[in-house]
Amino acid sequence: MAENETKKVQASEAEEKRSTPKINMVGEKKPTKIKLFDVVNYLVFAILTLIILIPIWKVLVDSFSAVGVYQFKLWPTEPTIGGYATILKTQKLFRPLLNSFITTIVGTLLGLLLCTLGGYVLNQYDMPGRNAMSYFLMVTMIFSGGMIPEYLVMRQLGLVNNMWILVVKHGMNVYNLVLMKNFFEGIPASLYEAARLDGCSPMQIFYKIVLPLSKAALASIGLMFAVTVWNDFSTVQIYITNRDQVNFQYMLRVMVMDGDTPTTAYKVSQSTLYYSGIVCAILPFMVAYPFLQKYFVTGVNVGAVKE
Amino acid sequence: MDKNKPSVKIRKKPLGQRIKNNFGFYLMFLPVLLFVVVIYYWPMLGIRYSFFSSKMVRGGGLEWTFVGLKHFETMFKAPEFWTAFKNTLIISIVKLLLNTFAAVVISIFLNEMTSLFCKKAVQTIIYLPHFMSYAVVAAIFTLFLSTSSSGMINETLKSWGWIKESIDFMHTSKLWRPVFYIVNLWKETGWGTVIFFATLSGISPELYEAAEIDGATRLQKMRYVTLPALANTIIIVLILNVAKVLNIFEPVFVMYNNRVFDVSDVISTYIYRKTFMTAVPDYGFSTAVGLFKSLVGCALMLGSNFASKKIRGRGII
Repeated sequence: MAENETKKVQASEAEEKRSTPKINMVGEKKPTKIKLFDVVNYLVFAILTLIILIPIWKVLVDSFSAVGVYQFKLWPTEPTIGGYATILKTQKLFRPLLNSFITTIVGTLLGLLLCTLGGYVLNQYDMPGRNAMSYFLMVTMIFSGGMIPEYLVMRQLGLVNNMWILVVKHGMNVYNLVLMKNFFEGIPASLYEAARLDGCSPMQIFYKIVLPLSKAALASIGLMFAVTVWNDFSTVQIYITNRDQVNFQYMLRVMVMDGDTPTTAYKVSQSTLYYSGIVCAILPFMVAYPFLQKYFVTGVNVGAVKE
Repeated sequence: MDKNKPSVKIRKKPLGQRIKNNFGFYLMFLPVLLFVVVIYYWPMLGIRYSFFSSKMVRGGGLEWTFVGLKHFETMFKAPEFWTAFKNTLIISIVKLLLNTFAAVVISIFLNEMTSLFCKKAVQTIIYLPHFMSYAVVAAIFTLFLSTSSSGMINETLKSWGWIKESIDFMHTSKLWRPVFYIVNLWKETGWGTVIFFATLSGISPELYEAAEIDGATRLQKMRYVTLPALANTIIIVLILNVAKVLNIFEPVFVMYNNRVFDVSDVISTYIYRKTFMTAVPDYGFSTAVGLFKSLVGCALMLGSNFASKKIRGRGII
């Protein structure tokens, strides 16, 4: 009897299998599983984004609050813009902010100039000495003189205690130069040929053909330079002690970590000032980033994944 | 004489002619050359100072006396140096592994997200902290972790009754490294996923379909399709970063302090302190430490390059 029953069950099961098409079966099975997995997945990522956003939001809210509270608040208590006003009005804080903007803009332009020139020249495959040139650049990626010899050289050049050190140090970036070269390789060689036959000089080909065709590359590598220079803290820490020449990252760090606040800045509460400073230090890229995300991301991908 | 020779058919023009033709390019390379020489090659000459001792003379100049290998002897005998060396390796490597692991896990699970809008939104948000400087991130977390009445973490934990007294996260040797790793995870994990996403977008959907027909579950697909596809990229990321493990400076410098030197001092910060936070610095000694670091770094770089060539047929330099 028992045997018969199990056989029956097996038979009915087999029938079911045969009668329901395969796709349907998968479709039937899926929903419950997907739901649980998806719910958990979405939940985990919601928490993850909150972990990223809560600190940023707290900084933003507290920069507008007149009183510092430890709790996380969605909106400012006693709203004020005193922190920002203080930064703009206090010479000792505004000057570094200005320095940051100046060095970032000049550094980005210089960086783009050098790496486009270098990338363009290194793509001239029939130029004698091209290999030697690229080896010359490559060595710098493998070996460096180190922090102290660099410091001594910069001192001889009069770049110690001078904000232009930021521009000089980041203006030449071999890695970005190679990225730029890779971008340029995508431009068809026939375009160069045509321009050359039309009598264009190398320089004319460069700014009439190469540059206009590489706007996306210029944007993404330019952003990489800008982020590096704007965010640089260690160069300033090593090379600059004069408070007129430091950038805003350094000033912020000195203010928050060492409690070295300019005395004229005590009209607002300490935490309001600190958080306003942090917002100023991250604002340019936080504002630009959502619109330029594409360019931020391309640089990394071309550099690392391109095979 | 040469003119009378029967002309052999050569593809390339004579060297002189080619140089002349490319003269414009050489001119364009000149600024690059200048910067590379000044920023990279000139300091390389400075490594000779490793064998000299410096002394301040009047007027701010330096006087150098030859001391041979003395600095290297001092260095290898100094326990401080070995602590720094050990810390550099531990901190860099653990940070690298944690960040890569987290980035891989996040990429794989985010890849499973069905809503394209949510996926994009999550990506946008988790990339954000990368664009903050280390100085800013350290400032934010120092304020959050502070023991004062406005320190968010301590006060929150207290109000929940989890702890009775504030914990000084930044100044306790035992806690410093975990805090450092967490802060770095917060800052860099999101950005680390960029490269994995580029790889994931290249996986052929047919692979998933095939797995589905074979009856693979969601998790099985992730384990047997997505993860193997990422394996190569994971190895590349690790190799690329291993070459740079000794370079770590800013992330540590912005967070460390003299009370946690034993667990946080790395080679670069050691060089920095020996030079800029000492009353009478010997530039020779710090150059020697720097040279040691450069040489080890060079070996790591060449090793990584070799490994990369073996694995993907393309070097990293």
